[in-house]
Amino acid sequence: MEETGRSIPAQPESPGHFQAKPAQVRERRKPSISETPPLAPPPPQLADYESIIGKSQLDELRFLAGAVRGKTVKMVNSTALGGGVAEMLNRLVPLLGELEVKAGWEVITGGNDFFEVTKGFHNALHGGEYTLTQQARDVFMLHTEQNRQRMSFEEDFVVIHDPQPAGLIASKPDHSARWVWRCHIDLSNPNAEVWRFLQPMVERYDSAVFSSPAFARQLAIPQALFYPCIDPLSEKNKELDESYIQEVCDNFGVDRSRPIVTQISRFDRLKDPVGVIQACKMAQKYVDFQLVLAGGSAADDPEGAVVLREVMEAADEDPDIIILDLPPWSALEINALQRASTIIVQKSLKEGFGLTVTEGLWKGKPTIASAVGGIPAQVIDKLTGGLVHSVEGCAYQIRYLLTHPDFALQLGRNGREHVKENFLMTTNVRRWLLLFRILSGA
Amino acid sequence: MKNAVSEANALGCASHDSRQNGQKMSDGLGDAMIPTTDLMTRSASTPFEFKAAAHLLFIEREQASNLPGLLDALRSCPEDSIFQHTFRTLEEHHFIKEGFSNDFAHWAYSDLSVVGLGERLASLDVREFTSLSSLRSRLIQIVEDFIDQNPKARENRAESPFYFCSSKAVVLPVQLRANNLADFIEGLKQVSVHSIHYHFIEARLRRKLETNDFSLWLQIELGLSRAASLLNHIDIYTSTLEGVRRKIVQILQNATA
Repeated sequence: MEETGRSIPAQPESPGHFQAKPAQVRERRKPSISETPPLAPPPPQLADYESIIGKSQLDELRFLAGAVRGKTVKMVNSTALGGGVAEMLNRLVPLLGELEVKAGWEVITGGNDFFEVTKGFHNALHGGEYTLTQQARDVFMLHTEQNRQRMSFEEDFVVIHDPQPAGLIASKPDHSARWVWRCHIDLSNPNAEVWRFLQPMVERYDSAVFSSPAFARQLAIPQALFYPCIDPLSEKNKELDESYIQEVCDNFGVDRSRPIVTQISRFDRLKDPVGVIQACKMAQKYVDFQLVLAGGSAADDPEGAVVLREVMEAADEDPDIIILDLPPWSALEINALQRASTIIVQKSLKEGFGLTVTEGLWKGKPTIASAVGGIPAQVIDKLTGGLVHSVEGCAYQIRYLLTHPDFALQLGRNGREHVKENFLMTTNVRRWLLLFRILSGA
Repeated sequence: MKNAVSEANALGCASHDSRQNGQKMSDGLGDAMIPTTDLMTRSASTPFEFKAAAHLLFIEREQASNLPGLLDALRSCPEDSIFQHTFRTLEEHHFIKEGFSNDFAHWAYSDLSVVGLGERLASLDVREFTSLSSLRSRLIQIVEDFIDQNPKARENRAESPFYFCSSKAVVLPVQLRANNLADFIEGLKQVSVHSIHYHFIEARLRRKLETNDFSLWLQIELGLSRAASLLNHIDIYTSTLEGVRRKIVQILQNATA
């Protein structure tokens, strides 16, 4: 099957295969990946991490767990499927169990009205416009109360994730557990009204946990810092056979004999894919490379589809710009593209923590990223990567790194070490064990 | 605690006899002239127990967006914050060997664009301090002096604020102990870099001495005063912690070569 046009395929061309869409005009075999999600592999076990972090660090985890061995933990969030929190809990809970900390995970329930209110809260806490009505307060409190009645809190530690279940803290006086509020979102500029509503609840916890000092608020309780993390053994980050990487590149028409600059992110204006194209066109006057823009599915996101069209217009049929609209279950393909890349770019205009940056750094790739959100915690300019503030800065960094391979190699090495030290799932397990120890006075 | 000097002298006599028997001698890095094989296997009366520390970070109230703000925060922050942003910087960025001596220097240089202050703060060697209060005073003095000499720098606004954090530590036993130099070198090769940091860098604050756990043990238990002293001259700011580990091992292997 040959792909010659720029049109976005609305339907899979053949049963069982999703047609990822390269946008360039150069003739290329149409890539195909599974139309349906593959079966999830079994989760890794603690011992599987030894090859990555070493025996001494695994032993340290076992020692830390010793003081809270047999203790019980309840994690509570608002969704069992989808999103980074559920993905993280899917890994964290079994690993704590292997360390003989009895962790469980429960999901709150609520009707559409509740989740509409909490979505409004979520956007408002990110700084969006929002008017907090009495009705919204009542809906939030009603569903909180229903969840309180339904759930028991007999554990030693209760960890509540994000604002949706924050009101469960009302159950604290009935139990002896230590309660932790784990906030995964950026609270640096919240809607004042919504924050005034939530703050008294938050300050009843024994401790809060934030993903970055920049995301935190001034609170009357201790605030721990847990950076978000990636799982080095997940489909998106595990080591891949060279033959598979080659197969994916061949499938997507990526020429590995030439440098490859890649940005992985959904087609969203805040990820500035058009800015990446502009930067690459500037840099391509001086150095030869291909740009790969691989993003999440735009099919079910009307705005994403619009941005994808803008991106394709900006690419202007340049054969060295490869645009791939991938379905959500493309973790292995994304992993392969990152590993095949010479440089990873994340030129976001706004960002949460930026886990795609973490993924690139973990793969030892020299990474160029905007100084927004949690990225500066990962990319320390000229030491673990290159921080940029403009299209021109991005273009220059691409030119510089492509023409200074030794420096690029050193950045990649440092970046990987930085992730190993701070942003891996095992580090996350260590932080939880430490927090439980500290809270219990062990 | 045994008397290292008298023990070394006693062993020195013994080594003289050994030399006459044609055995290879240590090169003097150990103060005693001891046959290499004896030096490697001679038992310490107190074994060296390797440990490490696991740190959990907490976000403190203090923030700074300019130099006056930094000065205020340096005066009011908990001592754990001073520790976190100086001693711990070396551990958190143990894989970097340039440009990262402490968080304050890095911020002054990269976020506040006050290169001169960045250089002065970067020149601080935490090993010169056996208390966090003296380290805090020195940091304050450097910033105050800089502002006095460069009053316009007060107005510089940072690209991003300095967020003060602190760390709480849990000391972890490592399942390794050394009864002699051979065990010790082997242990050094096996432990994590966090253990190297704990014994070699953090130890000053714990012991209130301008030395480290390794040097103390080598001197007191094995009489290796010269090697112990050489360890204290390793430049921890131009090397990764892995590099520091290699240099320690090299010094000890040379002592027995």
